[in-house]
Amino acid sequence: MSTVTLGKAITQALRDALADDRKVLVFGEDVGRLGGVFRITDGLQHDFGEDRVFDTPLAESAIIGISVGLALRGFRPVPEIQFDGFIYPAFEQIVSHVAKYENRSGLSLPITIRVPFGGNIGAVEHHSESPEAYFAHTAGLKVVAPATPADAYGLLRTAIAGPDPVIFFEPKARYYLKGELELPCPPVPLGRARIARAGSAVSVIAYGPMVETALQAAQRADAEGISLEVVDLRSLAPLDVDTVVASVRKTHHAIVVHEAPVFGGFGAEVAARISHDAFDSLEAPVVRLGGLNIPYPPARFEKLYLPDADRILQAVDETLAYG
Amino acid sequence: MAERTFHLPDLGEGLTEAQLVRWRVDAGAPVEVNAPLCEVETAKAVVVIPSPWAGTIRSLHARPGESIPVGAPLVTIAPTAEPAGEAEATGGSVLVGYGAHTPGGAQRRRRAPAAPASTPTPQAGVRAAPFVRQLARERGVDLSAIQGSGPDGRITRSDVEAAAALPSAPAAAAAPQASAPERRPDQDGDHRITVVGIRKAIARQMVRSVSTIPQFTEFAIFDATALMEARALARRGGRPRTPLPYFVRALALAVRAHPLLNSSWDEARDEIVVKGALHVGIAVNTPQGLLVPVLRHADRLDLDAIAEQAGRLIDGARAGTLSVSDMTGGTITVTNVGASGPIETGTPLVNPPECCVVGFGGIRQRPMVVKGQVLARESAWISISVDHRIVDGGLATEFLTTLVTQLEHPE
Amino acid sequence: MPQTGTANHGLTREQLVDLYRKMVVIRRADQEALNLQRQGELGLWGQFLGQEATQVGAIAALQDSDWVVPSYREFGMAMCRGIDPGTMLGYFRGLTHGPWDPRRYRFLPFAISVATQVPHAVGFAMGCRLEGSQDVVLCVFGDGATSEGDWHEAMNFAGVFRAPVIFLCQNNQWAISVPLRQQTAGSIAERAQGYGFPGVRIDGNDVLAVVGAVRTAADRARRGDGPSLIESVTYRMGAHTSADDPTRYRPPAELAPWEARDPIARYAGWLRAQRIVDEAQLAAIAMEADAAAQAMRATLTHLPIPPPGASLFGRVYHDPPASFLKEREEFEASLEPPP
Repeated sequence: MSTVTLGKAITQALRDALADDRKVLVFGEDVGRLGGVFRITDGLQHDFGEDRVFDTPLAESAIIGISVGLALRGFRPVPEIQFDGFIYPAFEQIVSHVAKYENRSGLSLPITIRVPFGGNIGAVEHHSESPEAYFAHTAGLKVVAPATPADAYGLLRTAIAGPDPVIFFEPKARYYLKGELELPCPPVPLGRARIARAGSAVSVIAYGPMVETALQAAQRADAEGISLEVVDLRSLAPLDVDTVVASVRKTHHAIVVHEAPVFGGFGAEVAARISHDAFDSLEAPVVRLGGLNIPYPPARFEKLYLPDADRILQAVDETLAYG
Repeated sequence: MAERTFHLPDLGEGLTEAQLVRWRVDAGAPVEVNAPLCEVETAKAVVVIPSPWAGTIRSLHARPGESIPVGAPLVTIAPTAEPAGEAEATGGSVLVGYGAHTPGGAQRRRRAPAAPASTPTPQAGVRAAPFVRQLARERGVDLSAIQGSGPDGRITRSDVEAAAALPSAPAAAAAPQASAPERRPDQDGDHRITVVGIRKAIARQMVRSVSTIPQFTEFAIFDATALMEARALARRGGRPRTPLPYFVRALALAVRAHPLLNSSWDEARDEIVVKGALHVGIAVNTPQGLLVPVLRHADRLDLDAIAEQAGRLIDGARAGTLSVSDMTGGTITVTNVGASGPIETGTPLVNPPECCVVGFGGIRQRPMVVKGQVLARESAWISISVDHRIVDGGLATEFLTTLVTQLEHPE
Repeated sequence: MPQTGTANHGLTREQLVDLYRKMVVIRRADQEALNLQRQGELGLWGQFLGQEATQVGAIAALQDSDWVVPSYREFGMAMCRGIDPGTMLGYFRGLTHGPWDPRRYRFLPFAISVATQVPHAVGFAMGCRLEGSQDVVLCVFGDGATSEGDWHEAMNFAGVFRAPVIFLCQNNQWAISVPLRQQTAGSIAERAQGYGFPGVRIDGNDVLAVVGAVRTAADRARRGDGPSLIESVTYRMGAHTSADDPTRYRPPAELAPWEARDPIARYAGWLRAQRIVDEAQLAAIAMEADAAAQAMRATLTHLPIPPPGASLFGRVYHDPPASFLKEREEFEASLEPPP
């Protein structure tokens, strides 16, 4: 058992995947010699060679496009998109090919696309986005967003070893979050949520960076005698509806929280599933908390945009006061 | 050879019709496969339609200038040879796009409901969350009879729980009364009373009792001499008590000996749920109607504690000051039958979802045979009604015997 | 009349005749497919009339172990790779998105969204190189594709990683209604220089020229010298697809000079002049093509409608999530069996 940061857990997962399977390739912009702008791939090119860990030209669509070709040839590509806001040039390749190629060919496409996502890092434009809903909406993709070092390691290993394409969203504001990681660890399956903290009054459902925020809110609520249950989805697609519904059946109240804008966001899917599968358990409407319906704001305003513990607690107060 | 009719296909990704420009064949003439039949103009292009079959043109179904809907007959041909299997394979010329059908393919259609769908009864003005409505259904609470205490008059979980605690089972005694009776005389001089609130809840609960629980009743008389002596002793010690604490105490000991009486029938699963705790509901006649406050964990209390808490509950019920937790969660009920008046005993009704209700009559002197002599003794009737799905006569008798023994030999 | 036939690339007489046979067979299939669309048997058809030399020549220049990454107009190439045309038409009949096993024919699925297949070809070729394999990849696209960002990104990657890939542009002068001069102000072939590999412009209606250029590029790739770009100049004699009307945008006078350069007629003339074929052989090939077209029609019209559950849900995930399987079950339970 050792304490590692979430970022280092990802590095370890990549290292172990490269060591375990010669078909695994890691590539992207600045991932080779530099080791990535967040140093996630630090040392991997040195240890595994330039054929298996390499820098590419600045071309996101081609990074994903060649991943399709490499996968069809039998490799397990693990491309990196440097920042969330730079994934859009690759959108067509992801939606039209990564997601659909198996459907037209019957062939497995074991591609894991790593994407640092989310804000709270004081960055310039395009560096703080949460585009997960676009991909969760797309049949054929699996979408994952870990919140802890252990899950980051376990989910990434599962994603790379699996037969289907996975969009792996890394909570970049939590790269330095520390947690326990014991290796070897059992694989973390996709599509299985986790109760990050058990509670009884309100279910707060989150993923990625917002899990830690929800836990902070739960700690403060606890001091006030309000017991929050924090559900860490871990995997958006497939979505573990059963765990979410079981939690809401217990608490009768649900708040879904993410950084992405609320309108058409992933929270809408979670809210709809709760409303359908746990309708008779609801004592109040499901609350969605998220970013404002505006372009991601300049850094000086991001604290006003992002959900934080106070906004979660405000939502808790309102949902409990509903009736 | 049988004639076959060719229908206008969708010639270009969702077209709905085409205009016939001209025929390139005449009726009665021979035609080869793929030979031009006609030219049509769609919204996108002028196209030549080739014949799908070789044969003789029997009839042309449109005139130049005429608009033909996709899927409408275009030409009828008597083929020279049966086109093997084509008709079976495709069944028509509108394959995809507008007007397409998939003969031989599976369909997804609206299905008739298995049972006639019941028209939901609109509950105008009722505001309650889904869980609150579900709770009300489970507890037999009529939401339209409740004034919500939440924001905007919304009915809350607490409101339903309070309302569910109001109705009570036992006692054939309670006189019909409504919490806010509205009397409306009709032509014959009869009066109709609008039933709301507690009266309505009691009615619902009693209907549930007799319509879902097959119940039977047994009666006994017990010698209360020792009980009255114990009361006198307590009174002299400065702790005056009604008989009720002794009844509750005896009931707790009888349940300990026969736990199956403290149970409920789970109708959803056809299972008996034997309760882990003993919470005794005490039927109390109040100005609003019959209420059943609950003495929680009665088996853990001594006589003094029972007396103290029962007193608080009865006073609270009459004053309308009890909390929700005081009014919910009973597992067995006691009721007083004939505390006043010439009544000896009665048949209490089981309080759903409980299994057993115990009715105690008034303690007074009656002639009893003691050691061969007829003596005037303090005595009382006791009656139990039980759910026959759970309890048979033998067990009921054992339970009643234990109860009588405990009452005749109080601590 | 320009002919490159003086160089027959070491092909035997039988191989030379086979090039002709294949051009005739795929043209006849193309015509039959258009008829089938007009008769309501296909939802859509995209003709390749006039482009037979490029399609037949390119495949003939490859080894069987090489891979082909097509766009959507390469039906003739797919036939040359041995894929059954009647089964393949199931794609245009709306029965399936993928009527053949790409591994069996080393022929990837059609790519409808323009130029998106080009980076796939490059990645595939990069994989071949990483494995130390001798396989090369033929990537096919049209002139319109060269305007897409993916095309540029893929060409650039291919140059940087020396991928063993042949970029074959079927420049048929039209991208639906937009002519080449509005597609690009420069030369397609010359762009290769900017990416660091050779580019050539060839007569795409000369089957032997196509064979020669593709073989040269394949040899180069196999040697490890990297990619090549071939701009094969040809002409789309038909419409973009069966839903298109070229008379709305194409001057009729444009067709005549291209009819004079028809790839099949030209090659037949050369074969006659070289005394490689006689009229009886040509007639026999025409009958063979007719028979193949009728067989294609019969196969197509007898294609069964596959079971909906397996068709729609069977190839979405290799490891389908439980929730997905549940949706499939619910879907299948909602179906009324066919009468």
